[in-house]
Amino acid sequence: MWVKLAFTLFSREFRRGELTIIFAAIALAVLTVFSLSSITERISLNIEQKSSDFIAADRRLSSNHAFEPELLENAKHHGLETAQMLFFDSMLFANEELVLGAVKATTQSYPLRGKITIKDSLIGQAYDVDSGPKSGSVWLSEGLFYSLGVKVGDEVELGAGVFLISKVLVSEPDAPFFSLSGNKRVLLNYDDISTTKAVQAGSRVFHRLLFAGTEQKITSYYAWLKPQLKNNQNWEGIKDRQSPLGDNLDRAERFLLLAGLFGIMLAAVAMAVSAKRYCERQYDPVAMMKTLGGSRTTIRNIFLLHLSLVTVFSIVAGLAIGFVLQHIGAGYLTQFMGTELPQSGFRPWLLSIFIGVVCALMFSLKPLLDLFDIPPLRVLRRNLGDTLALSRIHIVTSLMTIFVLMWIFSGEIVTTLILFGSTLLVIAILFGLSTLFFSAGRRLGLRPGSSWSLAIATLQKRANANAIQLISFALAIKLMLFLVVLKNDMITDWQMQIPENAPNMFIINIAEQEVTPLKEFFVDKGIIHEDFYPVFSGRVDAVNGEAFARRVSKQEGEEKDKDAREGVRREPNLTWLDKLPEGNEITEGQWFSNINASTNSSEDDEIEVSVFEGWKDALDLALGDTLTILVNEQKFKVKVTSFRSVNWGNLKPNFVMILSPNMAGKVPVTYFSAAKLQDRHTKDISQLLQRYPTISMIDIKSQIEQAQSIISQVTLAIGFVLSIVLVSGALVLVSQVQASLAERMQEVVILRTLGARGRLIKLATLYEFLLLGAISGLVAAMVCDIALLIIQQQLFNINGRLHPYIWLLGPASGAIFVASIGYLMVARTMRQNTQGLLRKLG
Amino acid sequence: MSVLSQLNVIQVSGLSKRVSTLEGSLTILSDINFSVKSGESIAIVGASGSGKSTLLSLLAGLDIASEGEIYLDGDALSTLDEEARARVRAEKVGFVFQSFMLVQSLTALENVMLPAELAGKQDAKAQALALLEKVGLSHRLEHYPSQLSGGEQQRVAIARAFIGSPKILFADEPSANLDSKNGHLIETLLFDLNKQNGTTLVLVTHDEQLAKQCQRIIHIEGGQLEKISKGVAVNVG
Repeated sequence: MWVKLAFTLFSREFRRGELTIIFAAIALAVLTVFSLSSITERISLNIEQKSSDFIAADRRLSSNHAFEPELLENAKHHGLETAQMLFFDSMLFANEELVLGAVKATTQSYPLRGKITIKDSLIGQAYDVDSGPKSGSVWLSEGLFYSLGVKVGDEVELGAGVFLISKVLVSEPDAPFFSLSGNKRVLLNYDDISTTKAVQAGSRVFHRLLFAGTEQKITSYYAWLKPQLKNNQNWEGIKDRQSPLGDNLDRAERFLLLAGLFGIMLAAVAMAVSAKRYCERQYDPVAMMKTLGGSRTTIRNIFLLHLSLVTVFSIVAGLAIGFVLQHIGAGYLTQFMGTELPQSGFRPWLLSIFIGVVCALMFSLKPLLDLFDIPPLRVLRRNLGDTLALSRIHIVTSLMTIFVLMWIFSGEIVTTLILFGSTLLVIAILFGLSTLFFSAGRRLGLRPGSSWSLAIATLQKRANANAIQLISFALAIKLMLFLVVLKNDMITDWQMQIPENAPNMFIINIAEQEVTPLKEFFVDKGIIHEDFYPVFSGRVDAVNGEAFARRVSKQEGEEKDKDAREGVRREPNLTWLDKLPEGNEITEGQWFSNINASTNSSEDDEIEVSVFEGWKDALDLALGDTLTILVNEQKFKVKVTSFRSVNWGNLKPNFVMILSPNMAGKVPVTYFSAAKLQDRHTKDISQLLQRYPTISMIDIKSQIEQAQSIISQVTLAIGFVLSIVLVSGALVLVSQVQASLAERMQEVVILRTLGARGRLIKLATLYEFLLLGAISGLVAAMVCDIALLIIQQQLFNINGRLHPYIWLLGPASGAIFVASIGYLMVARTMRQNTQGLLRKLG
Repeated sequence: MSVLSQLNVIQVSGLSKRVSTLEGSLTILSDINFSVKSGESIAIVGASGSGKSTLLSLLAGLDIASEGEIYLDGDALSTLDEEARARVRAEKVGFVFQSFMLVQSLTALENVMLPAELAGKQDAKAQALALLEKVGLSHRLEHYPSQLSGGEQQRVAIARAFIGSPKILFADEPSANLDSKNGHLIETLLFDLNKQNGTTLVLVTHDEQLAKQCQRIIHIEGGQLEKISKGVAVNVG
């Protein structure tokens, strides 16, 4: 029989709107988690796919030794697509010209991701292809055509082989971003390596295997591969690279993750508030049922069934709305970005259902237990059981649940701790503030009968409820402010990385005597350019006299060999500088302050070196260590005097090692610069390259465009996510106001009966919400700014700064947001006549 | 269980109720002794704070005594836990309250059916319809409490009290929240139904006139039983 009664009660409660907020809160938590995790997953997959273009694969394995054949066989066995690459330098000969070229030999499957861009002739139109040259032919980069004086269709000798030059190589997806390995690039068919006879035992070559496939297949393959990885083998994905994309991708993911966490947090607060309110509203019916002989079991069954029903309905609704939302969002993104987003897997479905169930259970558990404990005597003593209302256990359980949910959703303890800690700070400050405010208000002695004094009296009267309201409002405002500010900072930071005049061409191999004419050329043509940096290649041979090779150890198999960067490995490009470059910061030690300009250099001067901090741990370096650097056949001992952080994302020339200026004149160098070229400069550049054929240019325009497209995609996604969080925030406010609605109705009745004018009551309500909103907003702004400082520095690697404007924006937006939502909800009550309200109060 | 308790539907002996307060223990009821025969109507009267509502809560098993014993139709309430007391109430007791205590989300008909449904009885609807007919609300079956006047709500509460044909009916100030006309109507209805069903009525009131309609009146003063006087009603016991 109780089942029928339970269903009747459920349907009535649902229709009466008693369950609406609980329903909406669970549905919102579910839809937030679902839409965010699925859209994040889809965007993330898409970004990863796009980013995979940068390494021409999903993962790659690099080494300066040949790979065992079973690595490739096993990858195929795991269902992965593979490609092989071999890099080596070899002399090219044509028209009596001899030039050293950087050869990349690739199998036909290369590239696994992205496209190769080529031209049919030097003046032809560039277009994309899916694979490299056929056996017997080679593709040369533009620089080589000028250096060798050849054209498409000519033959070139490469090592011992003769090849047909069939295309002009414009770009490969994995063309090095910052490598100075040269723009004399040759793309060769892998099968032709033997023809060149350039690769002999002991030759300096670099091997690479490329892999592509589903994440699952890759993970499975990596599980097999990991135990057998050797010290000289480096496994890499897009996120492992020191590239602007890797950093930005990471930040974007963190932002979406944060936003998701905030959505959950807000929905959880709404759920906790509404579950408590619902249970409190059931105190009288439960006391009555117990009085009429209803057993505890029957009552428990009835309300557990209610909880189950509301949970199921809200999860289904949340999933349905979430699905539609993410579909619309994805459609919009697809349309805007012109790329189809890949479908997400099962994770968002499972995760959101799980979070919905946990939300429903944990936030209603304590209120439900309180409800079951309501004594039947309440029918005679109406306030019995009210003391249960402010339960510490409920607060603690709810907070712990929120923490666990955040942790499960993010999988990141640090992020969760920072967010959770700042939330607790909000709660602590507000409890203190509300106690102070509400007690101070009593002494204000405002003129009785004014709207303000009525508003303050109302606030004081509901001190406890208001403290909770303040906390919820502040939390909602804090989270929303947080996201808005972080979004702005992040986007500003991105835009700063790629400013309007960011160089789009790197110019390398500039001989010393070419620097001045080149500068004049740039001035003459109005081309914006960077400084000219002296560059030379050096090999780190020993640390404190200990041979380097033995010193580098593979740590835990997972440790990324930081020096194994693109084309650099342990032969970084070195420079000397007297000033710390932009985007670099000394993290340990001191910049070369005591070393004067190179003119005074002598053999006895101690050369100092500033090392990128990423190398510190990887190579186990410390300040004061002496590195032996081998340049050509010359050995230099240099002392590590500082470590630097490097902003690899600023698309500027960056160096792992910078030597003190007294290095000048000791080794032969070439110069390196970067410039912003416009389309109108194409002809000038061709002339320049013809005049100085040894100069090479690396076009990074496409990389910049790709990075910009990803940034705009992420910016859009962030806007979408932000709007979901705003809805969650609004729901918290609605749930809070609704929780106090019955009491408000009672007050309106009393005040009306006592003859208070409608205008007085309305203004009092408005002022009350304005005050609540402003105070919440102020505290929210304070805590938000502190949390932002920590989060930006710890998680986003953005320079943290205070945001004075949010100290105004917080209270203002809080007052407007809270007052408008609160007033709208209460205004309905005020429109009813006193008799109607009395009836409703029962 | 004594022979006396078998004859009396309610037997109270040495009943005391004390509560702890910040100032120490406070005695609300002290050494109350009386009995009620089956079918009898008694009124418990006293000033505000005299302890009459506490006595009602103890008699109905809504609260437990500090000392003494109450036998409710043979069941010693002090030996029963809350679940068992609920079972006793379900089987033997009906209630009418000053504040009606209707479930707001249920219709008039469903409110009346509620005790029978909680007890798992099959013919709840038929019984409820008959009772609502008796209290003159057959045209208000599907109305919710908020759509009914105070008098109508109390009539629904009375109909609910009689469903399941309880042996004992407890009424706590049933007409106190109503105007005199509606109050009088309710009182008449309550006594009429009580007679028709042969129910034992325990009525808590501060209204001397209403109390006099019962067969006996128990006067409570300062937590003690001051006296038991006779009312004007005919003794059916």
